Parts: sequence; structure tokens; C-alpha cells
Amino acid sequence: MRPALDRLQYLEHHLLGRPTPAEAAQWQVQLLTDPNLAADAQTQVQLYQALREAGRQQLRHELRQIHAHLERTTRRRTWLQTATDHLSHLLGRR
Amino acid sequence: METETSASLRQALLTDREHTMTRIYQRAFPLVRRYVQQHGGSAQDAQDIFQDAMVIFYEKAVADTFVLSSSVSTLLVGISRNRWRQELDRRARLPLTDLTNQPEPPAETPADEPASVPVLDYLARLGEKCQSLLLDFYYFQQPLDQIAAAHDYGSVRSATVQKFKCLERLRKSVRAAVATLAH
Repeated sequence: MRPALDRLQYLEHHLLGRPTPAEAAQWQVQLLTDPNLAADAQTQVQLYQALREAGRQQLRHELRQIHAHLERTTRRRTWLQTATDHLSHLLGRR
Repeated sequence: METETSASLRQALLTDREHTMTRIYQRAFPLVRRYVQQHGGSAQDAQDIFQDAMVIFYEKAVADTFVLSSSVSTLLVGISRNRWRQELDRRARLPLTDLTNQPEPPAETPADEPASVPVLDYLARLGEKCQSLLLDFYYFQQPLDQIAAAHDYGSVRSATVQKFKCLERLRKSVRAAVATLAH
């Protein structure tokens, strides 16, 4: 990958992954020596938070669709049930 | 479904979310609706509360650490009852405010998180493919091999590179916006 993408992967490993104790210690040292690391990490955290919020919105949208679908199915089943009950009743009277 | 394990549930949610969520919804929602309606709520309240509960449930269920200690329906009814009690407390303090006027985050969201709404706008501008790739990985927690297959990337490696390219585009937009605001 390009160096810029490698850097994102490195940040992700420390923010979302499971860095080893040695990697965590190295990260602390790098925070002192790399003037941009803290700001880059902060931006990346912001991106992850936005992605979580967008994911929730997407999931809510899917849930509303599931609800509408189930409601339509139930309404159709109720109508069919009423119709077949009526038919059975008529046939039973013969 | 009642004998489902944490692992099989997680797998089902990751590989076939729509079908799995529909099955769960069909089974658990009537229980929650009955509870909410018996405790002073409307059908719309029940729907809002249950969907909040489903979001909380999904986030917990796809996490590696999740342990399913009861049936999925029992868990969802429990989360919904808590949410409904909180909502009733809130309404008792603000009697004229409607549930639907409230912001969306589930109750268990940490309150101290900074707002991320401006970044959401930039995410929407990335285009369907990048947005979907990022959400599938970071929010829906789908494994990269599944994402690679679903999005027609030749390999996991290529999906990984694409994911970071999308993240980089998002990051550049956000940084440019921040720089503009600073000047």
C-alpha cells in the first residue's frame, strides 16, 4: 500500500486493534516524537464515530423496512384468513 | 431460534442480516408491543422503542465478547422494557414532548461522545460503493473476505486497500473542511 494508507492502517491497529504491550510502548514513544500523530489519531477517531452513527442510521432504515414488510404480510394474512373463514362457514352450512 | 448460541447468532447476523433481523423482529416485536401498550404507550411508541432495542442488540451481538445467556426475544424484551421506563421518566419530566421529536442515539450510547454530524455529510458524498464498504466493515462488522466477495474485489488484500482508500478520501474531506473553518 502507499505510505499514506499504511499510516491509516497503523493508526487503526492502535485505535481499534489489539496492539501488543511492546507496540503500545512504541506508540507512546512515537506520540512524543511525531508531532502529527496525536492529531491524526484524533481525526481517525472522529471518522470511526461518524461511521458508527451512519451505520445506526442505515440499520434503523432497514428496521423500518422490515416493520413495513411484516405489517403488509400480516394485513394480507388477516384478509385471507377472514375470506377463508367466511368460505368455510358457507360450506359448513350446506 | 430459542436455542441459538452467541456464535451462531453472530454468524447469522453477519452473513444474512436482513433475513435474521426479520426472523427476530417477527418473533420479539409482538411481545414488546404488548408490553408497551399495557404500560401507557402507543403502537408507534412500541415500534420506536423496539427499533432502538434492535440497534443496541445488533451492536452487542456482533461483538466478539457477546455471550447470549437467554433467548434473543427475552433479551430484546428486557432492553425494550428499560428503554420504555426511561422514556416514561423522560415524559414525566417533559410531558408535552413527543418521543418522535427526540434525537436517535440508543440509551446506552456514552453521553460524552462528541457530535459527528458534519462528518456524516462527507460520508454521504463518498458515493454508494465506498460508503457501503466502510459501513459493512466498521459498523456491521462483516469480515473482509465476505466484503471482498460481496463487492467483487478479487481478494481480501484488495478489499483492505480499497477500504483504506475510502477512509483516506473521507479523512481528506474532513481535514479540508476543518482547515477551511480554522481560517
